[in-house]
Amino acid sequence: MDVLLAIITLFGLYGLVTVGMAVTFAATRVVNLAQGDLVMVGAYTAAVVTGPAFGWRVTLALVGAAPLLVLIERLLLRRPLSDPLATMLVTWGVGMALRQVAELQFTSTARSVKPPIAGTVTVLTAPYPAYRLVCGLVAVAVIGLVLLAAYRTGWGLTLRAVADNPTMAALLGIDPRRLRTIAFVLGGLLAVLAGALYSPLLAVTPTMGFGLLVPVFFGLLFSRPGALATAAAAALLIAALSVLLRVWMSDVLAEVLFYLIIVAIAALRSRPWIRRYSSWLTRVRVPARAS
Amino acid sequence: MAHTRSRAGAGVLTAAVVLLALSGCGGSAVSDAQDGGKGPLKIGVIVPLTGPVSSTGKALRNGFELGVKKVNAAGGVGGEKVRYVVVDDAGDPATSTQLARRLIQQDRVSMLFGTITGDTAEAVGKVADDAKVPFGTAILGDVERCHPYGWGFGESTRQLLTPTMPKLIEKYGPKVAIVGSDYNYPHFYAGVVKELVKREGGSVVAEEYSPIGQTDWQPVIKRLKAARPQVLMAMVVGADAVSFSQQAKQFGLLTPGLGYEGAPLDSDYHPALGALVNGRTHTVRWADGLDDPESRTFVADYRAAYTFNAPIPEVAGNAYFGVQFFLAAAKKAGSSDGKAINSEIARLTFDSPLGKGTRFDPANHVFQADMLEATIKPGMEYEVSRRLGRIADTTPKPGCS
Repeated sequence: MDVLLAIITLFGLYGLVTVGMAVTFAATRVVNLAQGDLVMVGAYTAAVVTGPAFGWRVTLALVGAAPLLVLIERLLLRRPLSDPLATMLVTWGVGMALRQVAELQFTSTARSVKPPIAGTVTVLTAPYPAYRLVCGLVAVAVIGLVLLAAYRTGWGLTLRAVADNPTMAALLGIDPRRLRTIAFVLGGLLAVLAGALYSPLLAVTPTMGFGLLVPVFFGLLFSRPGALATAAAAALLIAALSVLLRVWMSDVLAEVLFYLIIVAIAALRSRPWIRRYSSWLTRVRVPARAS
Repeated sequence: MAHTRSRAGAGVLTAAVVLLALSGCGGSAVSDAQDGGKGPLKIGVIVPLTGPVSSTGKALRNGFELGVKKVNAAGGVGGEKVRYVVVDDAGDPATSTQLARRLIQQDRVSMLFGTITGDTAEAVGKVADDAKVPFGTAILGDVERCHPYGWGFGESTRQLLTPTMPKLIEKYGPKVAIVGSDYNYPHFYAGVVKELVKREGGSVVAEEYSPIGQTDWQPVIKRLKAARPQVLMAMVVGADAVSFSQQAKQFGLLTPGLGYEGAPLDSDYHPALGALVNGRTHTVRWADGLDDPESRTFVADYRAAYTFNAPIPEVAGNAYFGVQFFLAAAKKAGSSDGKAINSEIARLTFDSPLGKGTRFDPANHVFQADMLEATIKPGMEYEVSRRLGRIADTTPKPGCS
């Protein structure tokens, strides 16, 4: 049971960041390499603003980060958007700048956040820290809401349309610029939320988001562009693999095996026969969903 | 880890430009390092001022600066003020090697000081041996090999654990668990823990290592908890010290009934972990709660100069008194020649708050000095609760004897 809870908690963290990255990627075809550092921004807001209750600090992180994200998108990403590599480098630079600002402002000494809910709860005979559970469940609920929005609302439809064929979507009257801004802000906010929500479980340092980038990046790699559900599923797979391996063996061995498996999946996926099989699967599914 | 690389690259470049500007000679041929022992004494300080260990690096530099300032206020060495150059290695051993070479060849320093992580200390130690320039460190923990020109002012692992282990076993019980970050030092630390636990008749019930940068400690904590330890020795470093301790508390492993000692109790982590470690005792070489006049002046100067209001890191104190030891040796040598100063360092006995008649053991270059037991309390200071006196560590190491 506690293995399941551990998977939920880790999936919440990976899932929020991966789905956020996938939303940005769907609309802009840009891998936002500053995503990890946005987690750090969220965590620092929760760590530094000590006055209000924890819930308000999380809200503050989101409200404060939104204009920042709009600015980044409008000022830095709009121009080089035609060149995905250049845009990716810009996001890399943004991430580096965020890390340096945090280091100058708060030094590299780690900070901690007191969990708003202390104590443990017993879930089917397994005692589990209460806040860890709450935070995992909130994250899973938010991921669910984002997926619901993507598959059941008009906005979600336009997002998927732009992800599928931006030129055609523009011809049909969708303003891709507006959508890109909204998608970038939403994607970024999911990372900020992850940082603020998970700050009581982590050490808050300027470089804390950097380590998240690898699992999240693989999550994005395993998903189909525009299909946010596959991104969430990939994050779940990665979280489950990471937890299960570490339950069965020592951390050091588990890490080596984890990367071996992930890289093997990535390599296998690109084999032609598997590709053909998966694209055949999609082709069957697409008309079924459209009807 | 491309970001460290790129930052380190930029660091090298800036350092190179700064060094060229400072030395004022771009193309002069490499000559003998120290001008034949004449001229003012110059020290090269290599510390990480950026990157994950930068706060510890800055603490070392601050302590060092105040130490040199004190010696200069008392007239300097050989009637001249001691000068120093501070460079940033960002915690990257390749950069440390390059910077050490530049400091010796272009800045013609007579001594090197600094470094935080073991790999950077090893890198600079090699350069210092080749160039015959003494090199001082201030962080706790010893390297596996002894360098003829390397001198560490931090406590060795044996000095740290010899008084600690029996006391923890006596107070909490004989079942000991070890947790560490997965790199060479925590493994070495665990080796010494095991040896001492065995000597005390206790047993090591669990041993866990995790790669640096771990965010989810649940599986490790679960395994540790299953072993029902009475004492937990933690050599989990950096941000992981904070996340591990926090999660260990949340999972009910870290209770007042469990003995807990190791890196997370260092004053560096006190701002983040204060609430978890207050009331516990921690073995150190120097604490800011020491009440001798020299330590008091140092603490007051440190707080004033760097507007610092957390417990002062031990490494700052070690650097402050360490550089005074080095400069006392240079004074005795009467020259700025590295080789001459090195033989004086090997011979010198020196009184400071770190102990009366402190000196280096020739067989392992471990600093023979006092240890303290500090009690961690809310607020700014690590209060000294027990003086453990001189803790000898004369275990020979390859490289020196």
